[in-house]
Amino acid sequence: MQSPRQIVLGFLTASLAFAAVASAQSAGQRVVRKAPTAADWEAIAKLPDFTGVWEAGGGGGGGGRGAAPAAAQGAAPAAGARGPAAAGAPAAGAQGAAPATAGARGGGRAGGRGRGGAGRGGPSLTPEYAAKAKATPPPTAEENLTANCLPPGLPGIMTQPYPYEFLLTPGQVTIISEAYTEVRHIYTDGRPLPEDPDPNFYGTSVGHWDGNTLVVDTVGFAQVPRGLNFPYSDKLKVTERFQLTDPDTMSIETTVTDPLALTMPYSMGTRSLRRHRNWTIAEYICEENNRNGVDENGKARINLANPEASPK
Amino acid sequence: MTRPEMTKGTNMSMNKSVRRVILLASLAAGVASLAMAHHSYAAFDVTTERVIVGSIKKFDWSNPHTWAWIDVPNEQGGVDTWGVEGMSPNYLARRGWSRTTLKPGDKITVTIRPMKDGSKGGMWVTAKRPNGEILLMGGTITDP
Repeated sequence: MQSPRQIVLGFLTASLAFAAVASAQSAGQRVVRKAPTAADWEAIAKLPDFTGVWEAGGGGGGGGRGAAPAAAQGAAPAAGARGPAAAGAPAAGAQGAAPATAGARGGGRAGGRGRGGAGRGGPSLTPEYAAKAKATPPPTAEENLTANCLPPGLPGIMTQPYPYEFLLTPGQVTIISEAYTEVRHIYTDGRPLPEDPDPNFYGTSVGHWDGNTLVVDTVGFAQVPRGLNFPYSDKLKVTERFQLTDPDTMSIETTVTDPLALTMPYSMGTRSLRRHRNWTIAEYICEENNRNGVDENGKARINLANPEASPK
Repeated sequence: MTRPEMTKGTNMSMNKSVRRVILLASLAAGVASLAMAHHSYAAFDVTTERVIVGSIKKFDWSNPHTWAWIDVPNEQGGVDTWGVEGMSPNYLARRGWSRTTLKPGDKITVTIRPMKDGSKGGMWVTAKRPNGEILLMGGTITDP
């Protein structure tokens, strides 16, 4: 015979168990990950070697030695400009400017193409979203939330001037962005894209290997700064193609689709990263000592008070 | 492209010198102006430069930016502390800088993009030590 207390406990336990299952179901696909086998690791070894630390900016992106200052300099005007740069602006080093810079330096391919949102290669908006774009002017440099250390979402996080580390493990590619100390998880275990993902900064990414190219599709984007210079819907999808163009050079071709916002896929061009075999990723905690942010009125402010308060 | 080159400091070992970012002045003039990675330049007057001369009070080797606090004698016979924002440690560390590149008491002449509002701060453009060493915050990656 159960006591009332036991009955209540039993009921609570059953309720919690039911809630957990219901929650898992509503969240969509849950993939149980098996322990990797030796064969799984052997398969990793046969893939193109993406491991290590890569950077486009700072002289690594094919621009050659001595290119860094020019690159950073070039980034500055774009950073201050209205438009895409301001929207995606990374604190790390020049906003959305970084992509254009990197593209221009890193092989000169399309990094800068289309970033301006004007002219050839810009996004082709549907009438509805063109009207939205017109009604909502792009944020100014001073309205840049990343100035207050909010990281840019995808694709902006991939256009930073700071390095990325790639980790290949069975069923997953992990990209660590030094800028903002952010992590992307790309599932390569065959799972499908989620049907109704919770929107967030980096979306949900699944990848597969097309020969020697890692193709990554990402969906589920919140409306946060992400380096896009046009309004987008919750149907936004980002497709990235990663491949080695020489043993220490990786190209990343990024294409954006959005059936509600875009009349055709929008190519953000190709960015080139250079591997630095003796680098490690540094810590970048933006909140550590940010004296250069934006106040509640959207105005840039510099806090010059109390130098002794700085943490280091 | 101008090739960066290490300065031969008089009493600096080579090892020490390679850990510093020392580039030709010509390079400094050409490229250092906005070699600054930041989200917001809005508070700085990037159209002008100002030179301040003083000594390092404190060097914040911190993210998202380094800050060099510089004691600068003023016309009233006192000392003002200027704050100069620089590149972040991760960026600088790959270009020869370290948290001890600027030490308290170091005499230094710094060219800055001043604050628009006239307050005592700015953005690091370039700097020079009494021995002629130039300290840029851009430059060649010294750790390949």
